[in-house]
Amino acid sequence: MNNTKENTTPLVDNSYYEAVTTAIRSEARRVMESGEVSAVIGYKSGRRKGSAQPVIISDVSRIDELVFAPTCTNNLSLYLTKAKKEVSKKGKIAIVAKGCDLKALAGLMSESQLKRENLHLIGISCAGVHGSNVKPSEALSAATIARKCRECTVHVPEGVDCIAGTLPQLEQLSALESAELERLEAMSPAGRWAFWKEQFSRCIRCMACRQVCPFCYCEQCLCDRNRPQGVETTPRPAGNMGWHIVRAMHLAGRCAGCAECERSCPMDIPLNLLNRKMANELKELYGQEAGMQPQEKGPLATYKEDDDESFIK
Amino acid sequence: MSRIGVFICHCGENISRTVDVERVAKAAEKISGVAYACEYKYMCSDPGQNLLKKAVIDQNLDGIVVAACSPRMHEKTFRKAAQSAGLNPYLVEMANIREHCSWVHEDREEATTKATEIVTMLVERVKMNKKLQPITVPVTKRALVIGGGIAGIQAALDIADCGHHVVLVEREPSIGGHMAQLSETFPTLDCSQCIMTPKMVDVANHPNITLHTYSEIENVDGYIGNFQVTIKKKARSVDMDKCTGCGVCMAKCPQKKIPNSFDKDLGMRPAIYVPFPQAVPNTPVIDRENCTYFKSGKCGVCQKVCGPGAVDYTQEDQLVVEDIGAIVVATGFELYSIGEKPKGSAIKGYGEFGHGKIPDVIDGMTFERLASASGPTGGKILRPSDGKEPQQVVFLQCVGSRAREKGISYCSKICCMYTAKHTMLYHHKVHDGQAYVFFMDARTPGKGYDEFWRRSIEDENAVYIRGAVSRLYQKGDKIVVMGSDIALGIQVEIEADMVVLATAVQPRQGADLLAQKLGISYDMYNFYSEAHAKLRPVECATAGVYLAGACQGPKDIPDSVSQASAAAAKVMTLFAKDELEREPIVAKVNDKNCVACFYCKKVCPYGAVEEKEIRDRQGNLIKVVAWVNPGVCGGCGTCQASCPSKSVELDGYTDEQIMAQIEAL
Repeated sequence: MNNTKENTTPLVDNSYYEAVTTAIRSEARRVMESGEVSAVIGYKSGRRKGSAQPVIISDVSRIDELVFAPTCTNNLSLYLTKAKKEVSKKGKIAIVAKGCDLKALAGLMSESQLKRENLHLIGISCAGVHGSNVKPSEALSAATIARKCRECTVHVPEGVDCIAGTLPQLEQLSALESAELERLEAMSPAGRWAFWKEQFSRCIRCMACRQVCPFCYCEQCLCDRNRPQGVETTPRPAGNMGWHIVRAMHLAGRCAGCAECERSCPMDIPLNLLNRKMANELKELYGQEAGMQPQEKGPLATYKEDDDESFIK
Repeated sequence: MSRIGVFICHCGENISRTVDVERVAKAAEKISGVAYACEYKYMCSDPGQNLLKKAVIDQNLDGIVVAACSPRMHEKTFRKAAQSAGLNPYLVEMANIREHCSWVHEDREEATTKATEIVTMLVERVKMNKKLQPITVPVTKRALVIGGGIAGIQAALDIADCGHHVVLVEREPSIGGHMAQLSETFPTLDCSQCIMTPKMVDVANHPNITLHTYSEIENVDGYIGNFQVTIKKKARSVDMDKCTGCGVCMAKCPQKKIPNSFDKDLGMRPAIYVPFPQAVPNTPVIDRENCTYFKSGKCGVCQKVCGPGAVDYTQEDQLVVEDIGAIVVATGFELYSIGEKPKGSAIKGYGEFGHGKIPDVIDGMTFERLASASGPTGGKILRPSDGKEPQQVVFLQCVGSRAREKGISYCSKICCMYTAKHTMLYHHKVHDGQAYVFFMDARTPGKGYDEFWRRSIEDENAVYIRGAVSRLYQKGDKIVVMGSDIALGIQVEIEADMVVLATAVQPRQGADLLAQKLGISYDMYNFYSEAHAKLRPVECATAGVYLAGACQGPKDIPDSVSQASAAAAKVMTLFAKDELEREPIVAKVNDKNCVACFYCKKVCPYGAVEEKEIRDRQGNLIKVVAWVNPGVCGGCGTCQASCPSKSVELDGYTDEQIMAQIEAL
């Protein structure tokens, strides 16, 4: 996914990561020791050098395991929904959230899945994280940074309980994803259809994109239903197209842009492109987009007399 | 294996003309699961229905498809027939091969193929149908009547006399409406106030009527039998319990030069006022816009002179919530004022005929006030500009009405008759005066109406000129009216002292806003729409809302009163039962799959979705899910469309049924 010709000079100094890690640990310790929260969801170091993995800490003595590194890619809001449903039953929880993760949390609050009062939000001034297929030990550079982070608008989260670290001066990187979107927009509808057809033809229906998405929290996905069957479940062209259209439609106006679907895709399908395209459409049509604050109603759950209906033909 | 019966109707020739019904029946027999298929000339007739009933029993059918007209037309008929033969009525479906096929196609071959496909789809659907049971909801036996004109008063009195409680809401400080403004009424020339005011008093004294005057409808929630209506009682600034109606405040109010809209601005009233002496309730209101106290904080005379201490400047608008079972809408009409164009009006022609510019060009209602004994002139016909008695009066008919190019295509219905009446009243009061009427054609259907019109010409000396007026202008103190007499084929020119315009009848301003609150439909002119022009003329398509009077279309007094009584009868029919049966076409949530995102709650137009907690036996919360209140659900299916996990489905329209239908194609 990353352009190998890009510069490999580190974008930020190591002291930034140390400062963020210290800030996370001290805030986590404070809220754990005071009994305000029963657990902290964050990242700890993985086995490979530089790697990180999600962790749920409910024991104060383990707090120093918490870290922040360029490999902290996961959107932790996932651990409050389907992946670990019992977590949210433990009472108030602290969670480490990057800007994009916070947008997911805000969306989940809008959809009655989470309550703000049950969360202690440790926001991160995030410089960006690794893209997929990057060696964990490598530093964050123009060559290793995730494509979504190159044009991030939510480096510093808003409306959180505390912010860990200060954002270093960041280099302006070229917007690869926007450029790719523009390239697709310039195509004819038939050309675009052919592009996505080719992309989706590679899909193996592993459903990693669904499993990793904080907004795919349905207990039974309609695409798994067989009476009546909505979408064919085997990896064949029609069913693949069906699944990805359903996914795109269901995420329209909700997607937080964490791009976890794209990162986790073993077939490297550029799913975030489609997510962004849908978000742009909704912004253009209804002036609404996923934000860092919960919204009462999403654009697709609202009807206004002056809604643009030009697409109905 | 299903045992479905398919019944194909010829609809006389409506269907069989383009569709080969015999071939459809033969094809239907071959569909898997169909046990019986037949065709008949009139399936909805008695023999047709008996055919169906007999087949249900003889063939032991467990599902029925009637291929005929729209379900709007005869679904109920056939469901009832099946029910009488012992089959659950919701196992019966209509395949619409008339509106959807024979009426819109010409080619017999193609139409027959399409009819067969429609039948096949419905057979597959019926296989998935479930036996549904009707839903019962309680009925609150309290009616709301909106509008206190003659229609509203009649409806309120009829319902109240039947023993049910009525809440009557009127926007103005007094009930009475337009009828209280009229002088005499056609075709008998009895005094309007003499027949109206006793009814107004009846309303005030009726133990079953709660009267809210100077009030408006703020919000309407709920559904048939169970509405919650929020009424805004505007601040009257006078305590209704303390006020005795003595009128001292009005006599002492120093502000006396406010044009009285009840008298069409010809007379004046004080800032604290009742619109007319016979007002019900006889409690004044303070017009805060014109009151010196409210404008400058000084004065306060009315409070000082009020013996019982009823004047209260601190009163505020109050919101009252009433539980209501049925609503009668009787908001009436207003006259198209061609003087000043209201904002956003689509009608052209404002300011025509010098209206609003020449003071002696008036509309019909102004003439009524001039002729009324309680009016600003005490019943003398005096023209507004100089108070002289007009010797020649020209009446123009169809001003605004029947002028498609100007935006109103309908006939205002009452003008021919009231203009005839005006010529008579004028003749009775100004014996040597001459009335001229320019008219297109006189429309006088109604008991005694044509005789009345003839009388105005033959006995009362009115000159009727068939033709239109081309120009009208002021010349000295006269108004020159130029027009053509198409019967004689000549041009006529009359120097008139006064001109009376029979302006079009329009719905009240804001009628559309009220309709939106009530959830009822209205036409392009904002007249409220009835459910069926001929067979359900007083009901709205929205259950539990009924129409009375001119809010539905131009109407005279007898028609308004008849419709009001009809609406009252409909309300009483509803109130005759303690519980109401509703169609079981409502949404149901699958608790197992629901993830409580509440998209359904956000999109539900009826507010039917609630949050339900599921707990184990120890009372621990397992999860929260959506729950649809079947009494409130309107069966629109919006929740079904919005549910991301398809955990909510509309009974009778499940995904399984719809998919089966599509896959049958």
